[in-house]
Amino acid sequence: MKRLLVVLFLLVWGLAAAQTSLRVVIAEYSGLTGPFFQDVAADFQRAHPDIEVRIEVVPWDLLFMRLTTDIAGGRAPDISIIGTRWLAEFVAEGLAEPLDAFMTDAFRGQFIEAFLTPSILDGKTYGLPVAASVRAFYYNKDLFEAAGITEPPVSWDELREAARRIVEETDAFGFGLQGGEIEADVYWYYALWTFGGDILTDDGQSGINSPEAVAAAEFYRQLIRDGLTQPGPTAYGREDLQELFKAGRLGMMITGPWFIGHLAAEAPDLNYGVAALPFKERPATMGVTDTIMMFSTSRAKEAAWQFLEFAFQPEYRFRFTQGEGMLPVLKAVAEDLYFAEHPRLGTIVDLLPHARFAPIVPEWERIADITVRALQLVYLEQAPPEQALNEAAEQINRILGR
Amino acid sequence: MRLFKLNRLIPYLLLAPSLALTLFALGYPVYDLVRMSLHEVNRFGMLQQFVGLQNFSDLLRDPLFAPSLYRTLVWTFGIVVGTVLLSLPVALILNEPFIGRGIARTIILLPWAVSLAMTAIVWRWALSGQHGLLNATLMDLGLINAPIVWLATAQTSFPIAIGIGILVSIPFTVTVFLGGLSSVPGEIYDAARVDGATGLPLFRYITLPLLKPFFNLAVILNVIYVFNSFPIIWVLTEGGPANTTDILVTYLYKLAFRFGDLDVAATLSLIMFAILLAISVLFALLTRRGESRA
Repeated sequence: MKRLLVVLFLLVWGLAAAQTSLRVVIAEYSGLTGPFFQDVAADFQRAHPDIEVRIEVVPWDLLFMRLTTDIAGGRAPDISIIGTRWLAEFVAEGLAEPLDAFMTDAFRGQFIEAFLTPSILDGKTYGLPVAASVRAFYYNKDLFEAAGITEPPVSWDELREAARRIVEETDAFGFGLQGGEIEADVYWYYALWTFGGDILTDDGQSGINSPEAVAAAEFYRQLIRDGLTQPGPTAYGREDLQELFKAGRLGMMITGPWFIGHLAAEAPDLNYGVAALPFKERPATMGVTDTIMMFSTSRAKEAAWQFLEFAFQPEYRFRFTQGEGMLPVLKAVAEDLYFAEHPRLGTIVDLLPHARFAPIVPEWERIADITVRALQLVYLEQAPPEQALNEAAEQINRILGR
Repeated sequence: MRLFKLNRLIPYLLLAPSLALTLFALGYPVYDLVRMSLHEVNRFGMLQQFVGLQNFSDLLRDPLFAPSLYRTLVWTFGIVVGTVLLSLPVALILNEPFIGRGIARTIILLPWAVSLAMTAIVWRWALSGQHGLLNATLMDLGLINAPIVWLATAQTSFPIAIGIGILVSIPFTVTVFLGGLSSVPGEIYDAARVDGATGLPLFRYITLPLLKPFFNLAVILNVIYVFNSFPIIWVLTEGGPANTTDILVTYLYKLAFRFGDLDVAATLSLIMFAILLAISVLFALLTRRGESRA
């Protein structure tokens, strides 16, 4: 009898002391990402000795495939960072755990609303924004001076004029136009939105063949035709444009806040400025968030939530946001003097109210691909804008209707 | 009587385990592909409902399929023909003894040692519109006045991709031909020379026919490898702009991993497999007939 009691006691004690194990998949933003999350995990494990956290860092371009393979193999992680554009697919397959039950109002109130919204589908919050950026207009002040331009262009027509002057007075290129690779469509959305158009109309149809959209595409086409952009835009991805700008051979381009960090590290002597995107009908810029989500297949949801709550404390968010060159998603971090008083980051933070996001629909990759193809035909002068965009809109509507 | 029959079975029994393993390793993926192509599959590889041949008809109706197929045939034909035409003279030269032949052979073999993706990345930099080595060289030689953005359109990027493909296929083909040339016994040449044959006739009537089996081997292996060759086109243009440099394998990649259409992608895989099988069988039949005539 005594022996039985001892065995039972040991069993119960063993179970109680049993560790919950969490698998957290982290996307690699830079060399700082891994160490940062390891530190968070170490601190968390010190505060919660009964929970073990394993961090796995995966490069971005492998992340989706890695998650797909894990899910297909029944080994989905408990928590993962994902591109918000993938969220719709995960939710459709029932893989994302809604977090509303876990979140207190106080927790929720910490977030800048604009960044929380993209993770809310069907009224349920399926993830938390872990990184956010909005795009800004970068211009080379030295080239502007050499071309006799005093102020960054406010409207697209002024941009055209500035590009023309840069091409005439210097041997640099005017406006960097991304015509190839990932997010070539996004580069056009900057024009589409500021011209007054929308990617999807209110009734869920494609808006890329609206009169504003055609006007925006025509504007880009003319910039290329008149030699105001770098030659052969379809061969240029975002990295290629950034290289040109770093080398001081590009007058203007649009990209994200990480570029400030790149320029500080690789071209510290470049005299550049940051401004709002050019304007025609309304101010706009592209906002992008990355979401951290909990998998519905997780067997340690309470522990996973505790980890998320821990990782979202302002001190950790500040360190991550500053280190990776992103924008703050918590109000407390945004108010921190570093961001509020940083001359260039402050300008970018001011663009937040006009941030627009890519629509969260399943099959977004396919829709983006169709748009890119239409735009490339326009840039290569192989199809007139109205025809290319009409055909693309038709294909997209068929996909949306499915 | 029974012992006798068992004796005849033994070779097969001994082969059976490795055969089974090979069939499983090769056959299971094909079986899985067939299953996926007959069902609707979601992004995460999970099979949904059975749809029969609908994926096949979807693929055949896809406006991007036929151009990709055509381009793949151009790509394969261009590279294989170019490779063979260039490799033969190179192999002939390397077969003759001369000072530095060892170094020459090593240099010819070097591209094979570099991974295809690395070669493609180096070429991508060389072809860059602004900092590219190719533009710099051509401008120094006075052949062009302004830099050309090679990778901006299909008209310039596709031929260059084929050229790179030829360059990386030459080492292997030269090796095959060198092997073939060294297998030709020297006595045949001596005998022919005694009969008064020289130069071109020697080549046409002795060397070429004896090289035929190696020629066939080089062609069929190159066709199979080039048809499925992914890194060069992907690194240079990702099949763009506007899918104008897409070959079947890059289009397959986009279908599977960008759009998540694993069912259509599986179907495309099977179609590519069938095409290659047909080409191989056709080629084998043609060359077999040729050999029996000889």
